[in-house]
Amino acid sequence: MENLAWGLQMTVLGMGLVFALLALLWGLLRLVLWLDRPAAETVPAETAPPEPAAAAAATAGTGDAGMDAELVAAILVATMTHRAVRRREAAPVMRSYWPGSLLYASRWVGAGRSRQHRAWLGRGR
Amino acid sequence: MEAKTNDHLQTLREMRSRAVLGGGRKRIEQQHARGKFTARERLALLLDEGTFQEFGALATHQVNEFGLDRQRYPGDGIVTGFGKVSGRRVAVFAQDFTVLGGSFSEVQAQKISRIQDLAIESGIPIIGLNDSGGARIQEGVRSLAAYGEVFVRNVMASGVIPQISLILGPCAGGAVYSPALTDFVVMAGDSTMFLTGPDVIKAVTGEQVTAQTLGGADVHTGRSGVAHLAAPTELAGLALVKRLLSYLPQNNNEDPPQIRPEDPPGRMDDALNALIPNDENQPYDMRDAITAIFDADGFLEIQPAFAANAVVGFVRLDGYPIGVVANQPAFMSGALNIDASDKIARFIRTCDAYNLPIVTFVDCPGFLPGVDQEYAGVIRHGAKIIYAYCEATVPKISIVTRKAMGGAYVAMSSKQMRTDLAFAWPTAQIAVMGAEPAVRLLYRDEVAGASDPAARTRELVAEYREKFFNPYRAADVGQIDEVIEPRETRPRLVRALEVLRTKVQQNPPKKHGLSPT
Repeated sequence: MENLAWGLQMTVLGMGLVFALLALLWGLLRLVLWLDRPAAETVPAETAPPEPAAAAAATAGTGDAGMDAELVAAILVATMTHRAVRRREAAPVMRSYWPGSLLYASRWVGAGRSRQHRAWLGRGR
Repeated sequence: MEAKTNDHLQTLREMRSRAVLGGGRKRIEQQHARGKFTARERLALLLDEGTFQEFGALATHQVNEFGLDRQRYPGDGIVTGFGKVSGRRVAVFAQDFTVLGGSFSEVQAQKISRIQDLAIESGIPIIGLNDSGGARIQEGVRSLAAYGEVFVRNVMASGVIPQISLILGPCAGGAVYSPALTDFVVMAGDSTMFLTGPDVIKAVTGEQVTAQTLGGADVHTGRSGVAHLAAPTELAGLALVKRLLSYLPQNNNEDPPQIRPEDPPGRMDDALNALIPNDENQPYDMRDAITAIFDADGFLEIQPAFAANAVVGFVRLDGYPIGVVANQPAFMSGALNIDASDKIARFIRTCDAYNLPIVTFVDCPGFLPGVDQEYAGVIRHGAKIIYAYCEATVPKISIVTRKAMGGAYVAMSSKQMRTDLAFAWPTAQIAVMGAEPAVRLLYRDEVAGASDPAARTRELVAEYREKFFNPYRAADVGQIDEVIEPRETRPRLVRALEVLRTKVQQNPPKKHGLSPT
């Protein structure tokens, strides 16, 4: 009986200690999160909503990556031009299959071209 | 032991460094001052990065006369090797003007011949970058014999592997024949080509002419037809070669590279239905039809300035490269003359050699009449077109857009000349000759006996036109397979070529034909 009481006492003490530490940890995390929160933007009470044009300009002015709109446009044009050049030159990324490959050519075509290019042999040779 | 190996490596590295410098830093600076790249810089611009593998970098000449023993440069004025262009294996050689003016020597010939042999055996295209003052006079007859070595390989490679010559500087004397024997000649910048230079011409005939007006890019792309394309700068010339290569296969057994199509195969351009003017004598630009029908941004016109009454070039249809031949009604009404015949015949044979289907657009009132043309042999030149079409075994499709008169109708891929499919637009006029001359011949007596000959002539002309100036009579007798709306042309061609892609046709065995010359 005495052992049982001692056991219960130790269980309550151990679990209490664990939960107490967990609670402390939770509290610490909350504190860190609170300290690390983004600074609240101060909005003037009497500020009028922006004009649609101004809002559009603001949106176009900087992208997600913080790039200037002109820079984004320049990159876009350069990318499109490069792609067009690669396409005109039939670069590997633009090809359906390897240049000149007979991998997908039918046996009909393969055999036919062989016949077309066969050297002429005279009678009896 | 290790020290000795290091010595050997050091020697090799020093020799390679010398080879890379060509004729030396001073010569390289002079080349740059003229606004030109060196041979190695050109190859670096042409080939994919890190793909060039050089051969014969350390070869030098063995001539001691005329002070040449003091002028030995590794490589002897030419850089040869293998590389890749847009991922495709190619053989290349580039003459180095910084070494003895790029003069053509026996060693140069050996190096070029070697790379030509390897290219033929490997079945890969060969690209030559020419920039040479001509034969190396100090070597005497050796350098002349060297030309023959290269020429014979040019001919053996002809129609087997694509050969492209890019002229980037002077190309004179016997040296011009090697590019002339290749499939395509592209001239860039202030390059020149001539057999005899201005000084010799002045001495022999007294004519005074500059190098540019004698053999510049304008002359050879516009008047002589020696060059197929021109570019304002070396950089543009190298880009043009890359683009040209994109339409050609690796060799005559293979197909040209197909790219992923972005233009819908079923696209119909309504503007085509309004392309042909109501007035039949009013010109229109056939290139508008070509660009509207084929894949966007895919038209590369060959010899655009030479014989502008004919249009030839490469296009893509559903991503597949195709050769297109057309009359140009906007120039000389599209009539065929000697130059146009040569241009068309040569292009057809090129397409046939490299397995490119041929689509022909016909709007031709006939062969150009004239004493000059007859005296200069328009018959044999015109016969070249017929020979080329009849000989070609690739898929051939013709589309008559407007006039198809007499011999020109027959010559321009008519159904009976082994054309696979013949289409016509409703505006087509397929007849033996024009209405007025036909009436003069057919109704001479009737017109002469009429009370008002002029009025009777007008009536008969109108009658003749109604009867013959349409595609339906030709369709009746099977000379035209189908009369189609102009806007339908693209999907029709896509479907037709889808079927004809596996076409195989064999000509009778022969050593070679005797094409009219």
